[in-house]
Amino acid sequence: MCEKTAHLPLNRTRRALGMTVMAAALATGLGLGSASAQELSPDEWVMVVSVINTTNPYMISNIEGAKALADHLGLPLEVVNSNNSSQEGISNIMAILASGRKPIMFVNTVSSSDAPTIVDAVGRAGGYVTIWWNKPDDYKPWNVGDHFVAFQKHPGVSSGRCGAQAIAGALDGEGEVVLLPGVQDSTTSQTRVAGFRAEIAENFPGITILEERPSNWDPQIAARNAQDLIVKYGDQIDAVWSADDAMQIGAMQAFENAGLLNQVKFASDGLYPKTLEDIQSGRGNNAIVGETFHRGYMASAVGLYTAYLAATGEIVPSELPEDKRESLFDLSCVTPDNIGDYLQYDEPGAPAAFVDRLVESGPWDVAPMPLVGGGVEVLPGS
Amino acid sequence: MSSFARHRIPDGSAQSARLVPPERWRAALRHAPLGMILSIVVLAVVFTWANPRFGSVENLQNLLYQVAVPLIVVVGTTMVIQMGSIDLSVQGVMGASGMAWILMSPNSRLAVDFGPWAWVAALALGLGLGLLAGIVHARLKVPSFVVTLGTWYIGLGIGVLLYGNGMLPSLTSETLARWPTRLTLGVPNAFWLAAAALGLGLLVMNYTRLGRGILAIGNNETIAGAMGLPVASIKIMAFAVAGLLSALAGILATMQLGSGSPDIGSGQLFTVIPAAVIAGTALSGGEGGVVRSALGVFLLILLNNGLVLAGVDPDFQSGIFGAILVVAIIAVSWPLRGRLKVAK
Repeated sequence: MCEKTAHLPLNRTRRALGMTVMAAALATGLGLGSASAQELSPDEWVMVVSVINTTNPYMISNIEGAKALADHLGLPLEVVNSNNSSQEGISNIMAILASGRKPIMFVNTVSSSDAPTIVDAVGRAGGYVTIWWNKPDDYKPWNVGDHFVAFQKHPGVSSGRCGAQAIAGALDGEGEVVLLPGVQDSTTSQTRVAGFRAEIAENFPGITILEERPSNWDPQIAARNAQDLIVKYGDQIDAVWSADDAMQIGAMQAFENAGLLNQVKFASDGLYPKTLEDIQSGRGNNAIVGETFHRGYMASAVGLYTAYLAATGEIVPSELPEDKRESLFDLSCVTPDNIGDYLQYDEPGAPAAFVDRLVESGPWDVAPMPLVGGGVEVLPGS
Repeated sequence: MSSFARHRIPDGSAQSARLVPPERWRAALRHAPLGMILSIVVLAVVFTWANPRFGSVENLQNLLYQVAVPLIVVVGTTMVIQMGSIDLSVQGVMGASGMAWILMSPNSRLAVDFGPWAWVAALALGLGLGLLAGIVHARLKVPSFVVTLGTWYIGLGIGVLLYGNGMLPSLTSETLARWPTRLTLGVPNAFWLAAAALGLGLLVMNYTRLGRGILAIGNNETIAGAMGLPVASIKIMAFAVAGLLSALAGILATMQLGSGSPDIGSGQLFTVIPAAVIAGTALSGGEGGVVRSALGVFLLILLNNGLVLAGVDPDFQSGIFGAILVVAIIAVSWPLRGRLKVAK
């Protein structure tokens, strides 16, 4: 409540600023964002992208998207590497906030519980933040204040359903599958697994799930678990579903080492460049049958741009509908047949091209990830 | 120095080498890690009962394959721990060396193949990081915990720089990618490499001045220095060997995965240090040995494998893993308990 009061004058200023920006955009016929970008001084504002680590391809892609947007908007960018530690991530964010410049921030949280601490600190620094992937379910942006602009993610349930459809299709509806979830208590992993199981239970009674072995998003643990499952079930395994591509890379190597890659089908989430390469080369008798497409650079650019619009006053978060503050963005199901449609998003310069479209269309209507819903993801059957 | 070495019995061999055969065997038996061996045997029997596939040749090969990387690392880690120091840099060194190796070997990102020079460069990188840690620790008297935490991040930083923003580098040479799984005399090549590292570790610890010096420092560094041992040089060499072995493990892990990643060593530190400690290598130095630590690695890998094969629900796996480990540690430490021994 106090925070809201404290922000009232600022909101009025932002609204006035936003109207000026709108008028300028209409008058000049330029894109909205490019006109408003000039209104935020690089001496006063800083863009911040906070990632879990800098070794995972997805996190590296998060940074790429932030760089592309910061370049486009002419603002400085700071990168926060949490080194897989909530404590380290929060400490590094605090250090940047102490620099005096107001942050426009994207945070890929290490764990759900990090979100309130970070959001409060950003609010005290006069900045705006969008959180991606993880936050406590009952921690709602509209209960916190305009500085917590939005929480955004791709629906995990859809991801799991995509994988289940691809595997069931490849096996003609009959076969036995093992699952490799990520970190066991991760919401992202749990929603993906729930989606996979629900799709199989609802539509593919001929598919049996033999076992699931959480593999911590780690390719080596996934490889080790896959080796153990190969010993346990042998050639009984017809397909493997992994909650992300990092684990699928490990699992595929284990099946290749066991000489079973040609007879097992794989589906996962993320369409990493390595996965793309394997699909295109037809590795293992076209072993990969399904993927979901989303890119880290798109998530960070959308998240940061949403926070940026709040900073310029172009949007007033408290006036937005709830699905634009707790948002689910579209996730594309990819198969070897439609993979050609997605190659453009990995070409050199793709992040900059995406940012151009983002600034033109706004954060909720940019292909290939328009807003498709909002609220806490409901697990099937719950 | 040799008189000093007689006070310690690394794996029962240093002293037994100077004894006549019957006494030698008795000494070896007295100091054999019987508790550890018993724990492994009991677990193997229980897991085979739970799932007969546990005892299959296929699973034994699988276990030997899985144990290879931590086994190589634990040899170096044990040397450092026996000295009373600690090496936390394992994962960083593995990441840096693994990335250096794959980018100089046939890979999907760069059209290069430096052949054996890829090995030389990657191993030299690990050796260099180990030397750096050793020199800063021994010459500048900085605690090894802090120094190796630094070299961990230096290694990780090198790995990240080499990884860059490009495509994940994958091995394109079938020969290299398949080498770790290929069997020689029924055993995966990965394990032969680890066995060679273990053999080298045993030789160094039992038959060289370096090994005896490491134990002497672990027992009492002040006395070791007063006796004229080149303490600083021994420490530097021990860290260099540990760095070299971490680099070798990084290369092997990269070959096993078929792709390069700065995170290739992820989780290894928390396999090898507990493995060494549960096997009786004291963090204060001077006790234990590479064979004991190797058995510790076997125990941890076997436990994980056995729980998967036994079909333990993932929700209960961590808890059951911990409970069995506590029972196994009691069995392992039972023969080592002494009336005057203080546990902290």
